[in-house]
Amino acid sequence: MQLALIVLLPFIGAVLPALMIRAGRNACAIATFTVTATALLILLVQAPRVFAGEVLHFRAEWLPSLGLDVNFFLDGYGFLFAGLILFIGLLIITYARFYLAKEDPMGRFMAFLLLFQGAMVGIVLSDNILLLLIFWELTSLTSFLLIGYWSHLPEGRQGARMALIVTGSGGLSLIGGMLLLGHIAGSYDISVIITRGDVIQASPYYIPALLLILGGCFTKSAQFPFHFWLPHAMAAPTPVSAYLHSATMVKAGIFLLGRLWPALSGTDAWFYIVATTGLATMVIGAWIALFKDDLKGLLAHSTVSHLGLVTFLFGIGTPFAALAGVFHIINHATFKAALFMNAGIIDHEAGTRDIKRLGGLVHLMPIAATMAVIAALSMAGIPPFNGFMSKEFMLEAAGHTAWFGLAFDPTVAIIATIGATFSVAYSLRYIIHVYLGPKRDDYPHQPHDPPFGMWAPPALLVVLVVLIGLFPNTIVGPLLATSAGAVIGADLPYYSLSLWHGLTPALFMSIFAVGAGYFLLTRHSRAVTFRERFYRPEAKEIFDNAVAKIVGWSRTGTWALQNGSLQRYLAAMTGMALIGGYGAYLGASSAPGSNPMLPVPALAVVGWLLLVGACAAVVILHRERLFTLVLVGVIGVIVSLGFLYLSAPDLALTQISVEVVTVILLLLALNFLPKKTPIESPMPIKARDGVLAVLAGIGITGAVYAMLRRDVDSISAFHLANAYGGGGGTNVVNIILVDFRGIDTYGEIIVLGIAALCIVALLDTAMQGASGRRIANWQVDMRRSADRHPLLLVVGTRVMLAFALVVGAYIFLRGHNDPGGGFIAGLVVAIALIMQYMASGFAWAQRRAGLDYHSVIGWGVLVAGLTGVASWLFDYPFLTSWFDYITLPIVGTFEVASAIAFDLGVFLCVVGSVMLALSRLSRVGRIAEHLDVAEGPMDVDPSLHPNGPPSETRPTSSVAAQ
Amino acid sequence: MTFFAEILISLLIVAGGFFAFVGSFGLIKLPEIMQRLHAPTKATTLGVGSVLVASMLYFLIIEGSPSIHELVITLFLFLTAPITANFVAKAHLHEDQHPEALPPTGGEHGWATFDAPPDQRVAGQERGAD
Repeated sequence: MQLALIVLLPFIGAVLPALMIRAGRNACAIATFTVTATALLILLVQAPRVFAGEVLHFRAEWLPSLGLDVNFFLDGYGFLFAGLILFIGLLIITYARFYLAKEDPMGRFMAFLLLFQGAMVGIVLSDNILLLLIFWELTSLTSFLLIGYWSHLPEGRQGARMALIVTGSGGLSLIGGMLLLGHIAGSYDISVIITRGDVIQASPYYIPALLLILGGCFTKSAQFPFHFWLPHAMAAPTPVSAYLHSATMVKAGIFLLGRLWPALSGTDAWFYIVATTGLATMVIGAWIALFKDDLKGLLAHSTVSHLGLVTFLFGIGTPFAALAGVFHIINHATFKAALFMNAGIIDHEAGTRDIKRLGGLVHLMPIAATMAVIAALSMAGIPPFNGFMSKEFMLEAAGHTAWFGLAFDPTVAIIATIGATFSVAYSLRYIIHVYLGPKRDDYPHQPHDPPFGMWAPPALLVVLVVLIGLFPNTIVGPLLATSAGAVIGADLPYYSLSLWHGLTPALFMSIFAVGAGYFLLTRHSRAVTFRERFYRPEAKEIFDNAVAKIVGWSRTGTWALQNGSLQRYLAAMTGMALIGGYGAYLGASSAPGSNPMLPVPALAVVGWLLLVGACAAVVILHRERLFTLVLVGVIGVIVSLGFLYLSAPDLALTQISVEVVTVILLLLALNFLPKKTPIESPMPIKARDGVLAVLAGIGITGAVYAMLRRDVDSISAFHLANAYGGGGGTNVVNIILVDFRGIDTYGEIIVLGIAALCIVALLDTAMQGASGRRIANWQVDMRRSADRHPLLLVVGTRVMLAFALVVGAYIFLRGHNDPGGGFIAGLVVAIALIMQYMASGFAWAQRRAGLDYHSVIGWGVLVAGLTGVASWLFDYPFLTSWFDYITLPIVGTFEVASAIAFDLGVFLCVVGSVMLALSRLSRVGRIAEHLDVAEGPMDVDPSLHPNGPPSETRPTSSVAAQ
Repeated sequence: MTFFAEILISLLIVAGGFFAFVGSFGLIKLPEIMQRLHAPTKATTLGVGSVLVASMLYFLIIEGSPSIHELVITLFLFLTAPITANFVAKAHLHEDQHPEALPPTGGEHGWATFDAPPDQRVAGQERGAD
């Protein structure tokens, strides 16, 4: 349970800073700090067991059918990473409190930070690979938020987008690789997978899985050629850079390399891909870093280089190299986080990060200078700091690595030494060009040492840098042993954590690197000129062009299908259905069935002729819009009669009420369209549509014929058999809706509500901007009647209202056993209300009704949902329906079913959605026609003047306004 | 008894069919909209009314159980038919006639379709009025 808590705490705690910011910036930071500290504390409590070699597990089922379970495990390796993430997280939180300016929304920052932290801890503790993938994607998303935190800066937004695209695509690749891996290993548990290395490496899927997984790792860890996103992510606030690029985000890829090291490493493919990539990244990153004038740019490329170093070490595949990799992860996290924070301090205090504008800061910022010198020397690999030791390990491992498999094969060693040389050069540059040299007087700000809270976190790290360097065995010995042991799986190789190993080749390589690095720095300006001579591909440009290309393609593709022409959508959909149907036709037998043909009564023939006639008339007369609507109404009525004839009274009722509502809504919409459709389709399109329509018609006819002539074994029999016993009703359709498929219905009413809200959103948007002006300037194209709300209609609909409401209630109540139910009742009541609106005008009637249809929809969903939840109280699954028979005196025995409450939700949703759509359409109408809200229910109201109009010259035989 | 009832019911159904036919025939044959308006509203009401009465008698005498559905249908017909006729007439006036060509209303005000009473005019209706 504690394991899950470590992961969950940051997620849950992310709410705190967002709330606490109201109590001030300190409260916000303290709340965040407390959350992380608690998680760290829980982690540390596990330390004794982990150091004793125990592997802790937490297992909970989530979606077992997918193999996705909430499984966490904690071994030395996970402990190391979780500890780094949380510990450096604490320092970053403290630092950020002092770094962020007053106008930066700190609550949001801390919340993002905690979310990111939770995702990272989730990655390193996940046992289930699917769970790991979820956390992996979460880090991509949350780092996007963090990198783009200064969303007012274009660099921030672009950098965040680039990071998201690169790491997100890598995540996609990783998903494929992980699924393959899980398939090969026969388990989705990492703790199992890493024990099946031989099975995995023997599988033919090994290479694809490896490539896909490496695609994920390399993008995340910014390995060449995916390294370009990391420097652009430097647009983030410095605490973010320090956190993401020293200990967390980019280490996720490295983490996974190490995690899967026992399963994947040791093959030639692994060595040549991973070690080569790592080596190349190390050298290229270090080379670029040497020429970056932006402090954070320098550190970013140095991070790329060091990640390459770790990748290289893991890639070598020997246990010793893997151990060296783990060791360097620890060391890199300490000195790099310190350096990033240092760069932030310089930026904060001196007002610039441009090395060309800095220098001589040692006199002005002695504390920051001391820390920077120590951390940078460690980065350069100078004794007695911790970076020296892991670099020695690296050189040692490189020295024993044969590239071509020859006895004497110094290629790798030479390249590694070159990388180390560049590394020394840029590290020294950070010291010499920034802090040493003469004091200047043109800094943008007057530099001075930062407040305690800002230098304390890096100072703590610098102290660690020194301590690990001086007393490696005491400080990190056990941690390194357990975590490296967890990676390697077998016994640890021989190694000795000390500064002096004797006169080894590694020492000479190191000495050469330091000397050459310093020499290179003294010739820095000449090196710059040298570099300028060569063409350098600009990664951002290439990336932007690639993205623009892809966007262009996707736009072309989308536009080909989604150009706003409904005809095209319909053609595309029908065409696809035809292709699919034809495929199914080819794949199955099409022999006629054996069911006898039924006799055709005259009534059916008449209905059929009407239907065909109306359809043909629509085709011919489709340009007369109003007339087409009438014909569509005819078709709807025939279809509902057809349902009735074929013993589907429920469908018939639904169809006829839907028909009425649709016709009314269409009438409202048609008001704003030209009364005649212009000729839009050229002949080829007409031919295309005609062919499609005929083919689809033939296909449907054939399918219906085939289905009706055969005995189809469907679920209907089950529904019929169980409706009464299981659902307590005899109306099977209704029982299916509210009980058997209740959750479908629940989803559908939500969709219906959303659709209504979409109509509101679309029409409200249409009221603004260009289309709004067009509507406001719309010319009334038909003469208006003065008597828009005639007396006769108003009185008639008022009388009908009562009847219709009673019918609605009746249909609603009887729905359980007889045709009806909430959906139809909702439509009937909606029609009853619409009649009032038609008679007296929407605005007037709406004021009288006083119903907010938004909330009616909301109540509908809520009531239906609560009905479903209620079954939980009785330990039944969501939406289990309950019914019983109650006998009361006089009333007799009647049934009480929970389904009726659910049906009430459906009812409310339907009424709300229909009325909301109507209200928006009529609002558009009112604006377009410049109508005021009617004052009375009808235009000519004789009741106002019972004795005729108040006129002096009233004739005696006046019939008033009748 | 049953025999006479059957005769009566049959006569009513035939009468209903006849009136329905007359109504449909008139709808086609009569030249003017205002004349045509009579056919469906009046004749069809009679026709449907006869059928409804026949139905009530059938259930009451032959089946032995009184049925009141027909009364409700009648009520709805009485409600809807005049409104429909009213609307058809209004639409006809509105679309095909000029206010000047219409006979005087005999009152102070003009036809409601064209001219609402002055004290009830609102801005929008003024615009709509000719």
